[in-house]
Amino acid sequence: MDLPLVLNIFMLLTLTTLITPIIFPLLSNNLKNTPTIITDTVKTSFLISLIPMTIHIHSGMESLTTLWEWKFIMNFKIPLSFKIDFYSLTFFPIALFVSWSILQFATWYMASDPYITKFFTYLLLFLIAMLILIIANNLFVLFIGWEGVGIMSFLLISWWHGRAEANTAALQAVLYNRVGDVGLILCMAWLAYTTNSWEIQQFPSPSQTTTLPLLGLILAATGKSAQFGLHPWLPAAMEGPTPVSALLHSSTMVVAGIFLLIRTHPLFTNNQTALTLCLCLGALSTLFAATCALTQNDIKKIIAFSTSSQLGLMMVTIGLNLPQLAFLHISTHAFFKAMLFLCSGSIIHSLNGEQDIRKMGGLQKMLPTTTSCLTIGNLALMGTPFLAGFYSKDQIIENLNTSYLNTWALLLTLLATSFTAVYTMRMTMLVQAGFVRIPPLTPVNENNPAVTSPITRLALGSITAGFFITSYVLPPKTPPMTMPLSIKITALVVTALGIVLALELSKMTQTLILTKQTPLYNFSVSLGYFNPLVHRLSTTNMLAKGQNIASHLVDLSWFKLLGPEGLANLQLMAAKTATTMHSGLIKAYLGSFALSILIILTSTY
Amino acid sequence: MAAYLTHQQKVLRLYKKSLRHLESWCIHRDKYRYFACLLRDRFDKNKNVKDMVKATELLKAGEAEFWANQHPQPYVFADSPGGIAYERYELYKIPEWCLDFWHPSEKAMYPDYFAKREQWKKLQQESWEREIKQLQEETPADGPKTEALPPARKEGHLPPMWWHHVTRPRERPM
Repeated sequence: MDLPLVLNIFMLLTLTTLITPIIFPLLSNNLKNTPTIITDTVKTSFLISLIPMTIHIHSGMESLTTLWEWKFIMNFKIPLSFKIDFYSLTFFPIALFVSWSILQFATWYMASDPYITKFFTYLLLFLIAMLILIIANNLFVLFIGWEGVGIMSFLLISWWHGRAEANTAALQAVLYNRVGDVGLILCMAWLAYTTNSWEIQQFPSPSQTTTLPLLGLILAATGKSAQFGLHPWLPAAMEGPTPVSALLHSSTMVVAGIFLLIRTHPLFTNNQTALTLCLCLGALSTLFAATCALTQNDIKKIIAFSTSSQLGLMMVTIGLNLPQLAFLHISTHAFFKAMLFLCSGSIIHSLNGEQDIRKMGGLQKMLPTTTSCLTIGNLALMGTPFLAGFYSKDQIIENLNTSYLNTWALLLTLLATSFTAVYTMRMTMLVQAGFVRIPPLTPVNENNPAVTSPITRLALGSITAGFFITSYVLPPKTPPMTMPLSIKITALVVTALGIVLALELSKMTQTLILTKQTPLYNFSVSLGYFNPLVHRLSTTNMLAKGQNIASHLVDLSWFKLLGPEGLANLQLMAAKTATTMHSGLIKAYLGSFALSILIILTSTY
Repeated sequence: MAAYLTHQQKVLRLYKKSLRHLESWCIHRDKYRYFACLLRDRFDKNKNVKDMVKATELLKAGEAEFWANQHPQPYVFADSPGGIAYERYELYKIPEWCLDFWHPSEKAMYPDYFAKREQWKKLQQESWEREIKQLQEETPADGPKTEALPPARKEGHLPPMWWHHVTRPRERPM
């Protein structure tokens, strides 16, 4: 039994199954797509992808396939190669499982949309681009997938393009991702220059790698994974329909940046500058996003900031030199975050489009399945022991605590963990518990199996995924085994403190004291004043500098002063000094003759 | 309607927006009701002030207090301007002249509708001159005073701009 061949065949079969709904309608007029066909295709693809994953778990077999080689120039060849290793074999079933659930949910959510088939085709194209990114063995194929997910994100965020905010949000996503792409292209250029190849196997050793390409990779991850500095597009991307938010902006696309860092991790291993940058950037992102999530009132924005915060935590893990742990967090995070978005979508549709948590309450009795799964997802997000989030999040915090790295990053991450508990509890209390504040005449309904079965499937995944992945896969590095009790339970204590704080705060909101604006509250609500500052200052600066360069530097200086006008000025000066000497007096002329003869006589000696 | 608001309109607008922002701050209904009653009492105390100068000063102080205490993210209904579903379905609101561009094979799928449509279009062509004449006669010289259109004046005439109103897209096109 030629295992690598079987592995290759099944992985390629997974991808081919996904491409069929795109290709078949082009071939014949009779083969039309429907949402159900696309959902079933993704389900079949998921079941097929389980086979190579099982083979890998039981035998550790990995493989590397090259399909075709683009013979670009003499010594630079770009092969179309796929790396079928632990990362791609584990992420394929997870991504396909989550996508299947989301597509099944979307058959209910987008049922009233006239272009629902186009929507599903877009989601399928996105999924294909994402899987190409995951399975890529060289940076060229990865870049194809990278740009593909960026374009599909743009198209899907502006799905309701009659709305001005949706168009602005889609443009924000594209522009911020483009700024990050510059970093990726920088790294690709450096690799092409030094090693003449973009293959992952041909990467130079860490001692030969300068910091410049690593900074480029970190910039790419900052753009795609919404780290602090290039983060505003992620909350703005909530303008898209909820299935888009669930698939792209929580489980799959935003982890592409972190996945790039995981794939290129051999370059990073010894470079302390790059690792510290990752650590501090990640810590700052996770705290900033958690602070912003504390005061948001739109349920999708809360979950978006929670995603941003968890991405910061993944970046912190990369900074700790633990890419496998970051991948574990990506995998477990996909389950509960997609489920949180699907639950919020069910709540939104049930309340006839209401997204503000101030007008939700007491939904536990009205939507029991949805709210139970929302609770499970929130507990998993907080890192409740033995749910999915615990296996990755607790390990990250243990490693951070026992390492001898930046204490400031550690404090920020712990504070962000506590804030996670606070905003999660706030969301739970305001959405599910308490008295009913919903607008009247709401079609509260979860009788449709297209709603309940994806959510319960993902709930099952949220509970068991962490356990299964950690029990079947050995950690490549030794995790810290011994630590004092206080270090061991830090994450738990901090989360518990956050929960207690949230409960106390919600009790305080029920007392008869009128709250007012405070500076901290304003900072959190206006998202750190980042958006208006950067969007206006950076563009005005750049445009003003450009205008200065065009008008003053080019027009006035290069073309005038150093050209005709400057020359004319010099001539004028010389002419003015010379004219004073043309006085008409013979004595002056005789004097100049004598001076010239003196100079000639003295110079000939 | 003139371009200026009356004092009563300004006070009522201040009251409504302060109630809405109070609702954004006080999430729980009983707390909101308590503070809303207090706010109503504050407005009612100065209800019978006859001196316009004093009343305007009170209004100005009220507006300043509102500005200081407003909520940074007030609750906006989903379909209102600034809400999350505002103009969401605008892209499905296609104007009716697109129906003229349908292929004859597509038009043959709805023969009775398109036959009737030809009659309606003929009616619109005939009455257009009369509607324009009516509007030109009835509009004052320095521009219309209101956005409301006048009704049809004579027997057998149709109100001006009726086609525009009748063929408007639905609020929720789906």
